[in-house]
Amino acid sequence: MRRFGRTVIIIVVLVALTAAILSFQEIKLGNFERGGDTPLGLSLGLDLQGGSHLVYRALLVDPQTNEKVTVTEDQMEALKRTIERRVNASGLGEPIIQRLGDDRLLIQLPGVSDPGRAKSLIGETARLEFKRRTINVPVELEQLNQDDIVGVTADFFPDLLTSAEESTATTTPEVSEPNPLVLMIDFTPQGAAEFQIVLDRLVDTFLVASASIEQGNSPSVPSRLDITIEGETQLRFEASPLTILQLTTSTTYAFAYPADRETGNVPTPPEAQAQIGLNPRVFFTEIQGQADEDIGLTGDDLARAFPGQNQTSGIPIVNIEFNDRGTRIFGETTSDIVLKQQTTGVADQIAIFLDEDELIAPVVQTAITAGTAIISGQDFTVERVRDLALLLESGRLPIPIELIQERDVDAILGEDSLAKSVVAGFIGLGLVLVFMTLYYRLPGLIASVALVLYSGMVLAIFKIMPVTLTLSGVAAAILSIGMAVDANILIFERMKDELRAGRTLLSAINIGFDRAWPAIRDGNVSTLITCGILFWFSDQLGATIVQGFSVTLAIGVLVSMFSAITVSRTLLRVLGTTGLTRRVSWWLPSGASDIPQQAATPVAQRS
Amino acid sequence: MNFVGLRGWFFIFSALVILPGIVFLIIAPGLRQGIDFTGGSTLTLEFSDPVNQTDLRAEFANLGHSDATVQQLEDNVFFIRTKELDEVARVAVLAGTERNLSPNGVQQLSFDLVSPVVAGETILNAIYAILAAAVGIFLYVWWAFRNVPSPFRYGAAAIIALLHDAMIVIGIFSILGVLIEMEVGTMFLVAILTVIGYSVNDTIVVFDRIRENVLTFPNRELSEVVNLSISETIGRSLNTSVTLLITLMALMLFGGSTIREFLLVLLIGVVVGTYSSIAIASQALISWEYGDFKRVILRRPVEASVSS
Repeated sequence: MRRFGRTVIIIVVLVALTAAILSFQEIKLGNFERGGDTPLGLSLGLDLQGGSHLVYRALLVDPQTNEKVTVTEDQMEALKRTIERRVNASGLGEPIIQRLGDDRLLIQLPGVSDPGRAKSLIGETARLEFKRRTINVPVELEQLNQDDIVGVTADFFPDLLTSAEESTATTTPEVSEPNPLVLMIDFTPQGAAEFQIVLDRLVDTFLVASASIEQGNSPSVPSRLDITIEGETQLRFEASPLTILQLTTSTTYAFAYPADRETGNVPTPPEAQAQIGLNPRVFFTEIQGQADEDIGLTGDDLARAFPGQNQTSGIPIVNIEFNDRGTRIFGETTSDIVLKQQTTGVADQIAIFLDEDELIAPVVQTAITAGTAIISGQDFTVERVRDLALLLESGRLPIPIELIQERDVDAILGEDSLAKSVVAGFIGLGLVLVFMTLYYRLPGLIASVALVLYSGMVLAIFKIMPVTLTLSGVAAAILSIGMAVDANILIFERMKDELRAGRTLLSAINIGFDRAWPAIRDGNVSTLITCGILFWFSDQLGATIVQGFSVTLAIGVLVSMFSAITVSRTLLRVLGTTGLTRRVSWWLPSGASDIPQQAATPVAQRS
Repeated sequence: MNFVGLRGWFFIFSALVILPGIVFLIIAPGLRQGIDFTGGSTLTLEFSDPVNQTDLRAEFANLGHSDATVQQLEDNVFFIRTKELDEVARVAVLAGTERNLSPNGVQQLSFDLVSPVVAGETILNAIYAILAAAVGIFLYVWWAFRNVPSPFRYGAAAIIALLHDAMIVIGIFSILGVLIEMEVGTMFLVAILTVIGYSVNDTIVVFDRIRENVLTFPNRELSEVVNLSISETIGRSLNTSVTLLITLMALMLFGGSTIREFLLVLLIGVVVGTYSSIAIASQALISWEYGDFKRVILRRPVEASVSS
């Protein structure tokens, strides 16, 4: 018993591990996350959960010669990124997009059984545009005038909210800190509605700006409101959505009162009221954070975009080159921007859009008339630069794609297939267990225990790797149950032979294993060779179906070898040292009564 | 039992099974190729209203798809194969059948599209895959049996058995294609490769015993050793096939209809694979050793026989 101690411990640990992996629906260890709301937390293929599987081929034709051109690695990568951006933005579940072979893309959309919308999104040709971006453009709001305003007052912000919303709270409100001083403008109902429209617009640009910071893009400038109040003195300040508040259900809006420009002090209410006077005139100007102007520069005008490095600092950059038309337009625009900067101090940018999504908006530093430009940034990394160059290239030379394969499975059909496979698996396994136990008796029972454990381990491995289970994968898994049995059968038949040759039970167990091993090994290696070849060809053979099958079968074969040589063997040896050895007939397959009983008499102590 | 002495009968029996298949394969229509090999589309539609096959076929013809083949899977569930349907055509088919046959709704359970580009490559790649598998296995067996005399023959015999099995399965499917319009697709290829894997696995078990017995009894005739080895392994071979057949039958009866074609290949493959290890692979070794084919051609009397 002591000799198998270590193996027994390993088996116990494996059983516990398998049980743990399978019993927790979701497993999270730091970055390692597995499982989900599927049966046993296994990851299911599209044919078992429903979804859409699309294969596209890139078709690049030389516009001059009309001949087919080979698509480069970078172009495929660019195509993949472009499609990824579009599909992700469309909110179509969690798409999986991967390259297949030299010129193909596989797009899997779990849960999408009618991918019409996805297909039209994917099929669009990329559109790259360069626009001139002017910063801080003042736009006078003529629709808001003196007639829309009822009155202007200055006071501490009223405690309206406190009384309305915090009355249920048990904490006493802080009295020590007074509410901030605000300027309150009371609009007519029509004026309030107009003002709300303006305010919503400000909020939108504000959200866009914070989103772009979150995504690590160059931050856009949000729009603000420039307010001029001509009362006793002139008061001019900027307000943003953060400093404007609508008083609850009223036509009055409150604005944070500006501090004095020189002293930085906020006046007291009477002082403020004195500044405003009784009947002030109010002017609103919306300062648009940025305004993009079409300059007629598109991907057609771009000659090349490629990643590079700053010669002196070594910071990654993106090089872009324009063709003749592009050089002319880009030159004119940048010259104009530089001129404006020298006269007004406002530095306009060139904003680059792909499919109406902003890629980047670099500031123009000099007039660029030679047609070659560099986009640089302090935070540029090699990846970011490569990504940017790829996206620019994908817009420069849009690659037409063609749908060459589609497989859509409705979720109902998927669920049905899954349920049927589970039933078939249980029945298949159950029948094998019954057959093994009836035919091989005690060793058969042990093999059955090993088989159940084997099934559990295979599922646990599927979950951990994770292996995506497809219908063909399920077939492979169930088939591998049959193959796992084979290893046991080989061993038992050998054991029987050794018993027939007059060996003791324990040595028959040991020698049976040793003799059966070459056959198990060679047989399984040949199956593994087939699996390897299937996997190798799966890229071409309709991809995922074949791949799933070969991976699943290979795992099954490997685990079955392990289970036969450790689990079955150890269990047999352990039982071989117990009193059960006295019941020799229990150890023999049915129909093996020709074995002399005395020859099989155990001498348990000997080994 | 004298397996070796029966080898002439085994060969004749196999030839009788393979020949009709080859006839069907070569004479039209051969294997009935699914859309994976020809390109085209398939749809599985479930109708909310009662719909029969004739009406559905007529409706498809009406919609401009007179080439469509319609198969009933369950009540009001049909499997339809047509030429390649683009998005517009697919939507038109759904709308048309809903309007004219099933106003309460049509559910598209599955849709497949394979363009001829993919289809052409698939066949070629399949042939490469099968050849690559055969070569890989041949080399491995040759290497694994390097300690016995003429290990090359073991590799070759395993390949002969493997091709024998593949031929029988392909032949049977050619016949089924004519009889029940059974189509073959990518899964058929996968299944053939699996059968090849299984066939070799089974052959190796018998060869392993021959390897052992040849080394244990170096002075015995090969025919005697092979016969002994077959007798010793036949119990295991049958039991393994039985367990595999049990699991496959369970899948056939209780699993979904989607992989039935695949399972049928495996079912036939397991039976044939088990048979071929005993009746083809092992016997090929003997025939090689005793120059059976030369003798048959030259009409010489039988020299090697075994009595056991």
